[in-house]
Amino acid sequence: METILLFAPLLGSLICGFGYRIIGERAGQIIATGFLFLSCLLSWVVFLTFDGVTEQIQIARWIESGSLATDWSIRLDRLTAIMLVVITTVSALVHLYSFGYMAHDEHFREGETYRSRFFAYLSFFTFAMLMLVTADNLVQLFFGWEGVGVASYLLIGFYIRKPSAGAAAIKAFVVNRVGDFGFALGIFAIFFLVDSINFSDVFAAAPEIAETELEFLWTTWNAAELIAFLLFIGAMGKSAQLILHTWLPDAMEGPTPVSALIHAATMVTAGVFLVCRMSPIMEFADTAMTFVVYLGAATAFFAATVGLVQNDIKRVIAYSTCSQLGYMFVAAGVGVYSVAMFHLFTHAFFKAMLFLGAGSVIHGMHHEQDMRNYGGLRRKMPYTFWAMMIGTLAITGVGIPLLYVGFPIGFAGFVSKDAVIESAYAAGTQAGGFAFWALLIGALFTSFYSWRLMFLTFYGAPRGDKHTHEHAHESPAVMLIPLGVLAIGSVFAGMVWYKSFFGSTEAVAKFFAVPLQTEVHAVADGYAEDGKADDSHSAKDDHSEAYDGEKTGDGKGYDDGHHAEFGGAPGDGAIYIGEGNTVLDDAHYVPNWVKVSPFVAMLLGFLTAYQMYIRRPDWPARLAENQRPLYLFLLNKWYFDELYEVIFVRPARFLGSFLWRRGDGDVIDGGINGLAMGVIPFFTRLAGRAQSGYLFHYAAAMVLGIVALVFWMSMTGIN
Amino acid sequence: MSADLAIVLPEIILSVYAMAALIFAVYTKKDAMAPTLVLATSALFLVMALWIGTGGSATGSAFNGMLQNDGFARFAKVVILVSAAVVLLLSQGYMKQRGLLRFEYPILITLAVVGMMVMVSAGDLIALYMGLELQSLSLYVVAALRRDNVKSTEAGLKYFVLGALSSGMLLYGASLTYGFAGTTTFEGIVQASEGGISLGLLFGLVFMAAGLAFKVSAAPFHMWTPDVYEGSPTAVTAFFATAPKMAAMALFARVVHDAFGTVVGDWQQILAFLALASMFLGAVAAIGQTDIKRLMAYSSIAHMGYALVGLAAGTAVGVEAMLIYMTIYVVMNIGTFAFILSMERDGRHVTDIAGLNMLAERSPGAACALLVLFFSLAGVPPMLGFFAKYGVLLAAVDAGLTWLAVAGVVASVIGAYYYLRIVYFMYFGDPDARRIDGTIAPLNAGLLLASAAIMLLGIVNMFGIEGLAEAAAASLVN
Amino acid sequence: MDELLREYLPILVFLGIAIGLGLVLILAAVIVAVRNPDPEKVSAYECGFNAFDDARMKFDVRFYLVSILFIIFDLEVAFLFPWAVAFADISMTAFWSMMIFLAVLTIGFAYEWKKGALEWE
Repeated sequence: METILLFAPLLGSLICGFGYRIIGERAGQIIATGFLFLSCLLSWVVFLTFDGVTEQIQIARWIESGSLATDWSIRLDRLTAIMLVVITTVSALVHLYSFGYMAHDEHFREGETYRSRFFAYLSFFTFAMLMLVTADNLVQLFFGWEGVGVASYLLIGFYIRKPSAGAAAIKAFVVNRVGDFGFALGIFAIFFLVDSINFSDVFAAAPEIAETELEFLWTTWNAAELIAFLLFIGAMGKSAQLILHTWLPDAMEGPTPVSALIHAATMVTAGVFLVCRMSPIMEFADTAMTFVVYLGAATAFFAATVGLVQNDIKRVIAYSTCSQLGYMFVAAGVGVYSVAMFHLFTHAFFKAMLFLGAGSVIHGMHHEQDMRNYGGLRRKMPYTFWAMMIGTLAITGVGIPLLYVGFPIGFAGFVSKDAVIESAYAAGTQAGGFAFWALLIGALFTSFYSWRLMFLTFYGAPRGDKHTHEHAHESPAVMLIPLGVLAIGSVFAGMVWYKSFFGSTEAVAKFFAVPLQTEVHAVADGYAEDGKADDSHSAKDDHSEAYDGEKTGDGKGYDDGHHAEFGGAPGDGAIYIGEGNTVLDDAHYVPNWVKVSPFVAMLLGFLTAYQMYIRRPDWPARLAENQRPLYLFLLNKWYFDELYEVIFVRPARFLGSFLWRRGDGDVIDGGINGLAMGVIPFFTRLAGRAQSGYLFHYAAAMVLGIVALVFWMSMTGIN
Repeated sequence: MSADLAIVLPEIILSVYAMAALIFAVYTKKDAMAPTLVLATSALFLVMALWIGTGGSATGSAFNGMLQNDGFARFAKVVILVSAAVVLLLSQGYMKQRGLLRFEYPILITLAVVGMMVMVSAGDLIALYMGLELQSLSLYVVAALRRDNVKSTEAGLKYFVLGALSSGMLLYGASLTYGFAGTTTFEGIVQASEGGISLGLLFGLVFMAAGLAFKVSAAPFHMWTPDVYEGSPTAVTAFFATAPKMAAMALFARVVHDAFGTVVGDWQQILAFLALASMFLGAVAAIGQTDIKRLMAYSSIAHMGYALVGLAAGTAVGVEAMLIYMTIYVVMNIGTFAFILSMERDGRHVTDIAGLNMLAERSPGAACALLVLFFSLAGVPPMLGFFAKYGVLLAAVDAGLTWLAVAGVVASVIGAYYYLRIVYFMYFGDPDARRIDGTIAPLNAGLLLASAAIMLLGIVNMFGIEGLAEAAAASLVN
Repeated sequence: MDELLREYLPILVFLGIAIGLGLVLILAAVIVAVRNPDPEKVSAYECGFNAFDDARMKFDVRFYLVSILFIIFDLEVAFLFPWAVAFADISMTAFWSMMIFLAVLTIGFAYEWKKGALEWE
């Protein structure tokens, strides 16, 4: 079943991409979409029936070279199962949506076939992404990693006649190369130390790695720290974290369904997935994880600030994505991988929906993307409006704080984002504290720009081209159905799976099939020292109760579970939580003000936006006028692109053109040409002249030859 | 005595056949007998090759070590006999058409082949010289076979005069060697040079090497090659490019290993110098050629350079690589000359490269086969020629002559140019050039295709030649 | 040393006789010969050619052919002499070797005869 699930998109892609000449474009699209729905169905079956025990399904022997021996196989554990449903669900819906969105496109000439190409790319992307998440070893993961990179490149640059799309595609590819370089180095380091790239071997060796020193860049590093750091650089590139984030906003040049699928729900979360997947190593790398927390928090904050002032509807959502990815990294960084996956999971639903909704608006407004030219679209496209409204409620985190009825009540984003923020606080470290405040402010900004988007788009008076507004229309059903499905997810995903991702330690441990430490201890003690088993157990209980007493705030009825600690060796279960890491547990016992704070931030953001865009629409312009430097700073994205232009692009271009003109053109071409067209022909002519046809010349050459030989041999020959 | 005769029985049979055929033909219908003789000679060669190759003939050392019929000699003899037989058959049509098919031609070839067989089994300086001269004198005559043609006679004369000079050098070296070793047998020379070589022996070695270098046309003793290749009738050129090269190279290997096997370090330098000079001269000088026969002459000089690289390694592996190289070289050249022999324009035989322009249009099959052969000659993988080069270079590297191997690679890059230039002409050339317009005879076409096919199919296991060459090399170097 | 010199004594004697004989003959010619010179007599003699002429003159290639064929038999004699001198001591192998040599030579001779190489026309 897993194999079918994995290869259905590839098959669909091949049939659609190469077979459309035979079966027709529309049939190709239908086949690709059909295969994806099949894949999606199977994914849900796998997800819901999966018992948590890691399975390996071998597909083929892949690489055998020296000590490197690797199968091509599927590693099915909880992480994979989660990613499977996320990927295939969003992908299937995006396929469906694209029927409507890509029906007509002014970027292509009349009669040109582009839809089959688009669907083939989408399906290929899905296959690559599935390869990434089902990988059983690092190289297979890297294959998927690069596969999605290629698909992303092809799709960003899908509008082949648009120079900016081409530039954005190249930018995405090049920036990712930087991250991939780090990732590849990380893989090399792991292979160097473990002599294997299979996850099971690597994870089992994690404790040893943590005690190994490694020489790199003239410095001695702790191997686990180094590897974790290098892998995170890869994750930074793919997940558009600060420093390597510049490609994501530009990637919005691609068609909107692509943005929804690749640049919101799936590919950009691959970095988060990687960090969670490598949790057995990450857990041993405290410094690297602190760095992850700082960087994630900084990204969340930075992207939110930029999002405040952007006018392109897709760019706002893009920065929002960037920011939300920061949240996920913070969660992973403080060691609650389940929460990171939780936010990834819910985010996929509401962010995909926001993008698809934005796409619907853009579609209805004839490819107008500037929000300043929208306004009052609520009545023109009511379904889209409601979908967007649900998405906004989800992302801003609307819910009822402090109420717990077996699960919290609120939209998906409310549940998962609050979990992240609480975890950050619960980490209790300096980084956690920083992250907590950064995320909180981020939440405020998120709320502001999300509502700003809503108000500018759907409320107020119509602005911009009148003609466009008159012809604004609701999107067809194929585009609205995906919105509806995602809306269900956006509303309920958080509440339904709350316990599995962010419930008691036992619940989470069960969901991710991680053994509990108490069990391990009890078993170990039971076998080792029967007599002392009771004592040790009771001592443990006492300790746990004492621990309870220290906690402030109420436990929302978690008392049954929080004695438990995660245990097991690295590689047991889908994620690994190091010894002494109780952040998940602690997060349930944070003070109430912490629990309420995200809600307050959301409310503040909403009210500000309401004030500025509904009640006094003249305020934003005046504010921008008053605070012009700040406004420009934000509008220009903190001048990152300009900075990179000066620091990297121009020197690189200079170096490139230098090497090209001087190095390649003059030295190499000049050298080769000089050799091939000057020196060798010279000798050819010389040889031609020597071949005069005169016998005595020939004889002279022979005599000279023998003279030379005799001379040389009598000089060197006798030894 | 009879045991000795049994060992040289193939040579005796061929000699008796040659004399009998001579008398028979001259007392009957003279030149009208020639086609029959060609067929009979070829058949006899093939029978002999089969006989020797299957181990039917007696082996061992004859006449007190004067002649050695060991595995090495047998390998070389089989290659010589088969290639001579094939080239003889190939040349029949060409010679007949141009009225050159005299009855002496197959007989002279037979005598040359006998000379070569003596050369490759020589175990004594006198046997060496006897074989060499028998071969050379026969070849001088066939080079000038076309008596009414200035170029042909010039070729024969040049070859003769320079050959005499080289024989002089060889003889001088042999005398020195005899003088300082006190014996003419290779075994004795080895013993005399045990534990270091005397200056006199060294000079003897240098002069003998020069004489032998002339025979394999290694630079700077190569000067005769382009003129003789160009001037001789093409069929004779085809013969020059194949069997005698194999014989001379085998003789070279025999002298350096059998007679001077204990002083590898001394002759290694000589051979490395010859190899280096040949590879570069062959590659560089061939670039300017407009005549395909001259081009093939330089090509053969370069190829001899590569074979000498293998020999210069001074190891059994090197000899093995050299034998494989020579075998592949011979096969490639047979295929190429099968085509060159059929190049015609307006009914006349032409050899200018310009005639090959856009050959792919007129005869795509031949062009494709030639493409494979030229790629193989240039040493482009996956053709067999690449593996031949790879073998000798590897042997050189293993023997510590890395610089020579690197030089070989550089030279082969230069050399690739002139091979690929012909390919360029065949596929993208000037359609208005004066192109060849003849048809290819079935035999030539068959050999051309077979040769090309061998270049491609041989990469599977080289038809088992590797194992034979290894055994042959082991019997020479010990 | 003495021994060595004594062995070379016959050569010295031979040398002396040669010089003496040469001088005697020249002197005898100077003293007794009848002198009656004419241009043809005083010119240097070379077989078939003018003595003083362009060295690169053409001459009939058949001279060359005949002389080559003739030299073969010269060489044959060079081989036959030592064989003949040692005839009493040699083995049957040596005897038959020379017979084969002569047979091969005869075949060559028969060929050139039949080919017409010996005819001058």
